[in-house]
Amino acid sequence: MDIERRGQWLRGVLDLCVLGLLRDRESYGYQLAQALDAAGIGPIQGGTLYPVLLRLQRTGLVTAQWREGAAGPARKYYRITEDGRAALRQGGRDWVTFVRPVTGLVAEGVDE
Amino acid sequence: MNADDWLRAFAAELHHRRVRPDDARHVVAEAATHLRDGGGDPTVVFGPPGRYAAAIAESVGAAPPPAPSAPGPVRLHARGITKRYGRRTVLRDAGLTVRAGQIAAVVGANGCGKSTFLRICAGLVSPDAGEVTVGSRLGYCPQQGGTADFLLPDEHFVLVGAGLGLARGPARRAGRAAARQLGWDTPGDVLTRHLSGGTRQKLNLTMSTLTEPDVLLLDEPYQGFDRGTYVDFWDQLGRLRDAGRAIVVVTHLLDRLDRVDLVLDLTPAGGTDRNGDAGWGGRA
Amino acid sequence: MNRLLTVAEMTLRELLRRRGVLALMLLLPLTFYLIRRDAYVGQSVRSLMLGISWAVSTAALFATGAARELEPRLRLAGYRPHHLYLGRMLGLWAAGLAIALPFFLIVVFDAPGLRHGGVAAAMLCCVAIAPPLGILIGALLPRELEGTLLLLVIVTVQMLIDPAGTGAKLTPFWSSREIGTWAVDHTDDGYLTRGVAHGLVVTVGMIIAVAAVSSIRLRRRRHLRHLPVG
Repeated sequence: MDIERRGQWLRGVLDLCVLGLLRDRESYGYQLAQALDAAGIGPIQGGTLYPVLLRLQRTGLVTAQWREGAAGPARKYYRITEDGRAALRQGGRDWVTFVRPVTGLVAEGVDE
Repeated sequence: MNADDWLRAFAAELHHRRVRPDDARHVVAEAATHLRDGGGDPTVVFGPPGRYAAAIAESVGAAPPPAPSAPGPVRLHARGITKRYGRRTVLRDAGLTVRAGQIAAVVGANGCGKSTFLRICAGLVSPDAGEVTVGSRLGYCPQQGGTADFLLPDEHFVLVGAGLGLARGPARRAGRAAARQLGWDTPGDVLTRHLSGGTRQKLNLTMSTLTEPDVLLLDEPYQGFDRGTYVDFWDQLGRLRDAGRAIVVVTHLLDRLDRVDLVLDLTPAGGTDRNGDAGWGGRA
Repeated sequence: MNRLLTVAEMTLRELLRRRGVLALMLLLPLTFYLIRRDAYVGQSVRSLMLGISWAVSTAALFATGAARELEPRLRLAGYRPHHLYLGRMLGLWAAGLAIALPFFLIVVFDAPGLRHGGVAAAMLCCVAIAPPLGILIGALLPRELEGTLLLLVIVTVQMLIDPAGTGAKLTPFWSSREIGTWAVDHTDDGYLTRGVAHGLVVTVGMIIAVAAVSSIRLRRRRHLRHLPVG
């Protein structure tokens, strides 16, 4: 995939992806990066991920807490807030509304 | 650049960009945890320290500049300090301005000239270029050495005190009082050579504060300190700062950078990126 | 004056606590004295002088090495260079006198036929010259091993050189040798005068050399300017 284009797309939706991952369970930075990769979005470097997490925290969409995990050292765990869930619902709807016509427009070109 | 160097440079950059100490501490710790979990070259995972620090600063916002009333008059002003050993240039055009009531940390990788810079400020070594203006009274605490093996701690206090014209009794009392600030009860009859490394450093530090200097230059003075003493050390520095001293401390430990007012990173250019381009990851 | 005396006192205290060094400082001249005692007492007295010179200059060398890191700090704490080197010298002169005295008494009782005033004067020359010599070597050669070896060379040359040759006058302890000869062999007074003059010149010269080296080493650096008080 064109790396620059992927970057531009991610810039718009990475916060929503993170909120989506946090919808069901809390998590920490490294685990989130792995989950994003496993979901097929591709490798996300820490330098990209943490500023997004900080912004989500600052705007009150997630809360964070340093805690010892079941195993291993203390980590900063992120948990989605009610505002975060609302933002995910709204943002998710907007995204789907946005990509549907885009998909429609470009889908035919893909098969040629 | 290894992970420790990268984290050090990153912490200095955050400080440089006036990220609040609490925020900076969390971000550095989180980056360290991430690197421990995932490994990898920090400049690939996070990018150059300067750029990542800029992204963080943009995400969390920076602290307001300090109240203008706080800093006192300039006590130490070093400019254009250049020092060469043979063909190797250790310091190139380094400078630092410290005011009364400020603590400055001098950080950087091993061998980047931190100690040399401090010794030049103390007037113990001549630079190849540059000059230093300092307050009238200087205190200097070396990394090690600087004490006499066959003298008692009390005799060190008497010796230093005599330089200031203090009589024996007052000098001894002043020394013991200063030592207590570090949580050290000076033994009356133990020769310095029988003190542990950490205790000898307490003596070393006590000697440098005994002269009540306006400018205190400390070269990693906490070697061999246990955890409690280390905390006492920073508390003591805080008290000295509040008393209006200008303090310069060479350090490679970054966990206390929130306690300092200025950071001078002597890592040679190219080691850190100060351009501050936020990169694509840093903008929403 | 207080600063000078405090440095002298601390130098003495340090020296007195180095028990091993102290024992060797006494043992060395004693061995030098006893080793040829069965033959000719004059030779023993001359060896004794060398032993004292060597012991005291070695003590001065080590005292200088031990203070190397401390002195710059004391300089910042308000000492001037001359407080430091003269104070150290004072302490070492006192230690030298304390070491020489018992040996002088030994000679007085063991060798009654000598000019004892001359023996005392010769010993004084050793005690006067050895501390600045040791300090000078310690200041110029930062590593103690090199300094010790240089002292060994000086003492050996002093021991083996023909005292009547011109080169002998360049050795630091030639004065004690000349005065010693006057005291032991009852030679003419020329030996005494030459010896005393040589001793004085060398002592003063050594002190000036120490002063010069210390003042350079502990100088106020030109790049450093002090703000006015206030």
